[in-house]
Amino acid sequence: MIEIDNLSVIFHANHRLVRAVEGVSLSIAARESFGLVGESGSGKSTILRAVCGLAPITGGQIRIAGEPVLTPRGRAFSRRVQMVFQDPYASLHPRHTIDRVLSEPLAIHGIGDTDRKVMRALEDVGLPTSFRFRYPHQLSGGQRQRVAIARALMLEPAVLLLDEPTSALDASVQAETLNLLSRLREERGLTFLMVSHDLAVIDHMCDRILVMQHGRAVEELDRADLVNVTMKTDYARSLFNASADRML
Amino acid sequence: MTLLSVRNLRVSFDTEAGLVEAVRGVSFDLGRERLGIVGESGSGKTMTGRSVLRLIRPPGKIEADAMHFDGADLMAASEAEMRALRGRRMAMVMQDPKYSLNPVMNVGAQLTEGLRQRDRLSAGDARRKAIDALEAVQIRDPERVLSAYPHELSGGMGQRVMIAMMLIPSPDLLIADEPTSALDVTVQAEVLSILDGLVRDRGMGLIFISHDLRLVARFCDRVLVMYKGRVVEELAARDLMQARHPYTQGLLNCLPRIGGSRGPLPGLDRNAEWAR
Ligand SMILES: Nc1ncnc2c1ncn2[C@@H]1O[C@H](COP(=O)(O)OP(=O)(O)OP(=O)(O)O)[C@@H](O)[C@H]1O
Ligand SMILES: Nc1ncnc2c1ncn2[C@@H]1O[C@H](COP(=O)(O)OP(=O)(O)OP(=O)(O)O)[C@@H](O)[C@H]1O
Ligand SMILES: [Mg+2]
Ligand SMILES: [Mg+2]
Repeated sequence: MIEIDNLSVIFHANHRLVRAVEGVSLSIAARESFGLVGESGSGKSTILRAVCGLAPITGGQIRIAGEPVLTPRGRAFSRRVQMVFQDPYASLHPRHTIDRVLSEPLAIHGIGDTDRKVMRALEDVGLPTSFRFRYPHQLSGGQRQRVAIARALMLEPAVLLLDEPTSALDASVQAETLNLLSRLREERGLTFLMVSHDLAVIDHMCDRILVMQHGRAVEELDRADLVNVTMKTDYARSLFNASADRML
Repeated sequence: MTLLSVRNLRVSFDTEAGLVEAVRGVSFDLGRERLGIVGESGSGKTMTGRSVLRLIRPPGKIEADAMHFDGADLMAASEAEMRALRGRRMAMVMQDPKYSLNPVMNVGAQLTEGLRQRDRLSAGDARRKAIDALEAVQIRDPERVLSAYPHELSGGMGQRVMIAMMLIPSPDLLIADEPTSALDVTVQAEVLSILDGLVRDRGMGLIFISHDLRLVARFCDRVLVMYKGRVVEELAARDLMQARHPYTQGLLNCLPRIGGSRGPLPGLDRNAEWAR
């Protein structure tokens, strides 16, 4: 469903080149759930953004369902692929009510039945429907993240790119959100590409995992590698050890 | 020694949809220690932290029977007195670091502003201090990051820039709101050890707001557990994993584990009694 071949992303900032992603390849089958983990600043969000056309593809190719992505991505793309951003505040328009945030994608794509769909989406992510008429700054961090997830689901996409979808959420809302995502994947046959620094979350949600460091892919693991601690590289092992330590 | 003392803190918002009581009678004391605040989303953790700095925007209203920081009466202090305390003596790492950084100013200018104006350092000295601060939080390429704008940083880099910025003036009280939620575990460990060092060696008081119960259990000395604007349980951090309150136990049970079942995670059965 998602194929990334030898992707490189270089940013030009202040007369410098920032090599955010260097030669990363991965391939995700339909209905599969794939995890990206690794060092902060290693290029995980940039890969997701490149898929959506929000970061330049300097080298390599990205294909969705066998077709190379078009630039600009277009409407058909956004009905098929939706992203939940890492930074829930920045991704919600500060002067739009939650109602508007959620109904806008429907309006753009000429989809009706807005009221019912908005209420349903709020219920799906465990927010009271009275939150419809609030603004993002009137919500807590975790409540905003749930709005961002609800928005991504409005168009019923086949592919979800999830950038730290639960790192702003407490344990109970994280559990509800992960359960919701798993249920939707099951019911609608969704494909996930998911970033998280929480290996327990990744292990719970993903079939395969790519470990990244400094713009490069370090090692691909499957779930058994994580459970049996059979990673080959020191970096992947160090990540695991630092988190295993948290299993009090 | 008590650095901060808060009695019966209440925060409310008068909105079109009615009164929202975000914090409902929170009391605690903080010494030169690491105090964790945990609790579900919307339970009032951030509003509690912001109230201490009196950073609640209208229509939000702060009330308290008493709120004292190192001899200063925070409820009676003028806005000018609060400004003098903020940054220098008490600082807060915000939950939305990228949103809290100035989007049109590069990181270097934001990190050195205080050093230049308040501490009257030369441009070169301020820059060196800023680079040291970024290296301490494990930023790989501090020179590049100094000239970067917030939107050019990754989530975790923004968080670390914010931490570096708050630590440069060596505050006596640091309120850190989810300061490591976007960091991978190895970088997170480094950042925590910096905070730990400041509490141990310099006697800083730290309020560590987090939803990561395992992290708080390991890192903090004491923990307040919040639910719907109230503290429902206060306990030693090392006892957190054996918490008594059904709400705290429920939060612990929802966590996934490496190698655990992939079936639905247990939810939390909320009980209206807890909010009393
Ligand atoms: N618009 C941009 N301009 C310049 N550099 C950028 C830009 N966006 C990202 N970068 C740089 O690219 C690198 C990778 O960033 P990215 O956000 O992909 O990291 P990440 O793996 O998601 O990290 P984190 O876990 O901290 O979110 C970083 O060094 C970052 O500073
Ligand atoms: N400006 C506002 N107007 C109305 N209600 C608000 C406003 N700001 C916050 N709230 C409400 O106050 C409550 C407490 O918010 P707070 O940000 O303190 O939660 P939190 O415990 O930090 O949650 P999270 O873990 O999700 O960050 C929430 O229910 C939130 O919706
Ligand atoms: Mg990221
Ligand atoms: Mg908060």
